Amino acid sequence: MSRQRSMENILASEYVSIGELVRITNSRYSTLKHYTEEGMLPFEQAEENLTRRYKREETVVRILWIKEMKTNGLSIPQIKEALGMN
Amino acid sequence: MMDLKLAPSFSVIALNAQRSLHMTTVKKVSLRCMAAAVILELYLEGCFTQSENKLTLPKEGFDQVHSALYRETVLQPLLHKHAEVKGDLNWWVKKASMLSNKQLKKFETAISDDLKAMDLLEDIPSLLGSDMYFDTAEVEVRAYRSNMEAYSSITENIRAEILEEGSVTDEVICMLWLLRECGCMHDFFSLNEIEKVNIKLHDLYQSNVWAKALLPIQIRHGIELGIKRFLELKTKFAKTFIGSSINLLFPALEPSRAVFIETESWFDNSNQRLDAVITRLLSYGHEVKVMERGSIATLKIDNLLYDAIPHFVMMKVPIQGVRLVPKRPL
Repeated sequence: MSRQRSMENILASEYVSIGELVRITNSRYSTLKHYTEEGMLPFEQAEENLTRRYKREETVVRILWIKEMKTNGLSIPQIKEALGMN
Repeated sequence: MMDLKLAPSFSVIALNAQRSLHMTTVKKVSLRCMAAAVILELYLEGCFTQSENKLTLPKEGFDQVHSALYRETVLQPLLHKHAEVKGDLNWWVKKASMLSNKQLKKFETAISDDLKAMDLLEDIPSLLGSDMYFDTAEVEVRAYRSNMEAYSSITENIRAEILEEGSVTDEVICMLWLLRECGCMHDFFSLNEIEKVNIKLHDLYQSNVWAKALLPIQIRHGIELGIKRFLELKTKFAKTFIGSSINLLFPALEPSRAVFIETESWFDNSNQRLDAVITRLLSYGHEVKVMERGSIATLKIDNLLYDAIPHFVMMKVPIQGVRLVPKRPL
């Protein structure tokens, strides 16, 4: 049986899943999925069918930064440029 | 974001927008699943001892039950005066889901009080209670409103786990089972996503011991679920352009989407009429903001937009007022 991790454990761990990112950043799953597909949120994945793991600290900072840029009216391509992706 | 146990977590989803004062069929469906969630919560916490597929709640388990009133309200009727009750998982969840109306009400009060204390649930006046027919019949209508942040965090976490590649936790398997038994899958997943969820659940059934034990269990009551689906269809129809026009002519079809607010007297201009309606809505405890004035005004009532359409109903004398119809997206 695999149990859900407590918030305390999530906040103490180095890597988190997308579901846990949803919980700690209060974002929508579809939004984070879209950011991941756009390459804005780097992740690690051991094999194709295994859970994607995100580095907690840097991903949370990145999500908050993206949210701030969205609030300031930037579009996704502009945010990608600001993240140094283009 | 706080850690919630399974039953309170599911209740945040299941109680949202339900009527708080009346035992409607739709709420009964939710409460039955919430009671079953209490058993699953105890099971996941290891409160039961298991021998040959039979689950028993030992003395230590009782102590944990007494730590929360909502658990006690579900387990007391199951245990009666017996010191020990034995049954498989199927027996426990089915028994919990078959509590009487009185027992369900007691359970609802216990769990909603817990959620209110944590600021996860509110009891707000429903706009339907301001309708002339409800008001004059002295039928008070109030509704639960879940904390939107918590609601979104719980539902999005379920979506993320089941729609992503990788493992699924036991709590999410429970949540999906509860949503299925509650007939709520379509509220959280699109048709395409439901197909993906089905495939994933099928895989889990074959590879995960917990899913294999839980997924075949059914606690749904056909008639109650049928009524719930019919009411959902009716609401869906009343949301369409044709449906909302028909509903304006025959408000009994879906009263919540054509609420009639009467004015004290006949007014010869729309501004006076609108002011009288706003005064009346404020007196019922609603937050009202005028977005647009005119013969058909747009009002924002408790964060939802409504068209206030001038209308009158014939009683012994004609009564003037407005029908509040939820605004359709442009």
